Amino acid sequence: MARSVVPNYLITEFDKILSRKYFSKEVGPVRKEAFDNFIRNGLPNKNLEGWQNTDLSSIKKSDFRIAEIDDGPQETVDLSQYGFEFFHTIIIYNGHFQEDISSVPKGVKLLSNLEYLEQKNWKVSQPDKSPFDLLNTAFMDSGVSLVIEDGVEIANPLRILFVCSGEQKLMTNPRVHIDLGHSSSLTLIEEHVGKCNKYLLNESMIIDIDANARLEHIRIQNNSRSTINMGNIHIGQQNDSNYTFVQFAKGSRLGRINIFADLIGEGANSSINGLSLSNDNQHLDTNIVTNHLAPHCRSGQNFKSILKDHSSGFFNGRTIVQKGAEKTDSNQSNKNLILSKNALMNSNPQLEIYTDDVKCSHGSSTGSLEEDALFYIKSRGIDAESATSLLVHGFASEIIETIKNDIIREYILDQFNKWLDKSN
Amino acid sequence: MLNVKDLHAEVDDKMILKGINLNIKPGEIHAIMGRNGSGKSTLSNLITGKEGYTITRGDILYKNESITDWSIERRALAGIFMSFQYPVVMPGVNNTYFLKAALNAKLKNAGEKELNAAEFLKLVKKKLIDLDMDTSYLQRAVNEGFSGGEKKRNEILQMLTLEPELAIMDETDSGLDIDALKIIANGVNKYRNPNRSFLVITHYQRLLKYIEPDIVHVLIDGKFVRSGGKELALELEEKGYQWLDQ
Repeated sequence: MARSVVPNYLITEFDKILSRKYFSKEVGPVRKEAFDNFIRNGLPNKNLEGWQNTDLSSIKKSDFRIAEIDDGPQETVDLSQYGFEFFHTIIIYNGHFQEDISSVPKGVKLLSNLEYLEQKNWKVSQPDKSPFDLLNTAFMDSGVSLVIEDGVEIANPLRILFVCSGEQKLMTNPRVHIDLGHSSSLTLIEEHVGKCNKYLLNESMIIDIDANARLEHIRIQNNSRSTINMGNIHIGQQNDSNYTFVQFAKGSRLGRINIFADLIGEGANSSINGLSLSNDNQHLDTNIVTNHLAPHCRSGQNFKSILKDHSSGFFNGRTIVQKGAEKTDSNQSNKNLILSKNALMNSNPQLEIYTDDVKCSHGSSTGSLEEDALFYIKSRGIDAESATSLLVHGFASEIIETIKNDIIREYILDQFNKWLDKSN
Repeated sequence: MLNVKDLHAEVDDKMILKGINLNIKPGEIHAIMGRNGSGKSTLSNLITGKEGYTITRGDILYKNESITDWSIERRALAGIFMSFQYPVVMPGVNNTYFLKAALNAKLKNAGEKELNAAEFLKLVKKKLIDLDMDTSYLQRAVNEGFSGGEKKRNEILQMLTLEPELAIMDETDSGLDIDALKIIANGVNKYRNPNRSFLVITHYQRLLKYIEPDIVHVLIDGKFVRSGGKELALELEEKGYQWLDQ
């Protein structure tokens, strides 16, 4: 077996976080347990299922340090530069929650993670499905918990803005808990921004959706190009609940989401979608495990990537239909558009079925723009550049159109257009 | 309008066209009939500018200018249009958006004012009525989920909107039922005028009952073996191509 790799800086930084005075002592044992667990296997290597195409050398070799008070903003964060300034926003800046400028819509209870743990009498199981979850628990330094009571429907979107900023090689580990009560609903925008040097953002988000509740979750990954963005998202869904996820990823040097969606209650519906745009030497990774544990649930995974230059990507989607999850209806699709001969995409859609009477489909395709389509468009008098743009737009629109909120959809479309223009 | 002179062309070192001469005057309709593999599509692709062919001898003149070095879009902007045998499906590309982009490219090229969305919609709705198409076509993605007949109608909608001077109809009739065929022929006949020319490529004489050609050419193995009036199409229908095989 390969030797476990644990970079030295993690060990020294872990001692620092344990002895940090303003963190509750009670969290210490939780951290220790997670860190011990992490050390046993270390960073995932290429032999570990799902990690064979992710180069983690930048995490191994760098010298990240945890964010201190001084790494917080030197002046009030100017939100106008980050779009959506009119939405309620929770700001987490270099691992520090900016309480004074954050707000939530009426009906959303905003708790610190310590308050959340106390409210649950510390009976919160810590995520451990990804090695980076273990790191997150060991180092969790910021984040919030959002609780929405039964029957509360929140009309206005809520945004959580993660700002990674500055020249320091920082490592932040935000933790977010979201509990949606019975028949409640929320639209959540999770946005990652900021200008920074090498940076490791490792976020874990745990979402519990009670019966008949609905969450639309839009993740905009727009970090600067030297950042590593690691997102670990865990969703548990009860009867007849709805979860829609759409990721729009165009930032970071290395971006990876690990999504674990458990359909626990009958009739739950999960729809996980994404569009990844990469150029230069970016690598964007998508890993999803959709786990059908109950009958009559529906799930979809629909991811697309557009790759330019030397960029690369990986789609690793798994749908598991457990024994007893009859009448499951699931589909999985991964389509990739390669716009440069040096770009590389790996796709691995997987379906595991342990029960009868289910309807499941999956498929994957990777290719460049079709010559016939370009000829067709040009034969109508449209120039080559516009023809390409038209087809790339068409390819992306299926994902962008899944966003119901007009303002958010237009914002993403605008970002997409800018990406297309700039890197053309 | 179009003057093809002694055109020889090959694909992957295989000679497909072996000396085509074709002179279409303004207002004329020419029909080319031939079996699969005779070179019909190669000829239309060469006129519209598709890549992948090598012209080894001869020339293609459009309005007295050689166009063999022109880009595909330049030919289109100059007024050449092809109704595709197999129109391309473009998921996610809105039909209205595509058609408006094409029309505005043409207007811009001609130094005319581009149309806004409302102006465009007004114009295209009139054309839809001519083709017995409902407005739901406009909201759909280009050719996505279209039946064979719908795709061909959509091609003719593009033709009526872009108003080309030379329209090539590449097997527009293949696979169409008689009602769809009549609708398309109607659209074309309304569109006929002394300044517009057509090149109709087909397997079957049936289409030529509804769109009456001035001249019919029979293409066999890369050459016109016979040219004549519309009665040639009838004769061909009756006797088959064997009659002309050498």
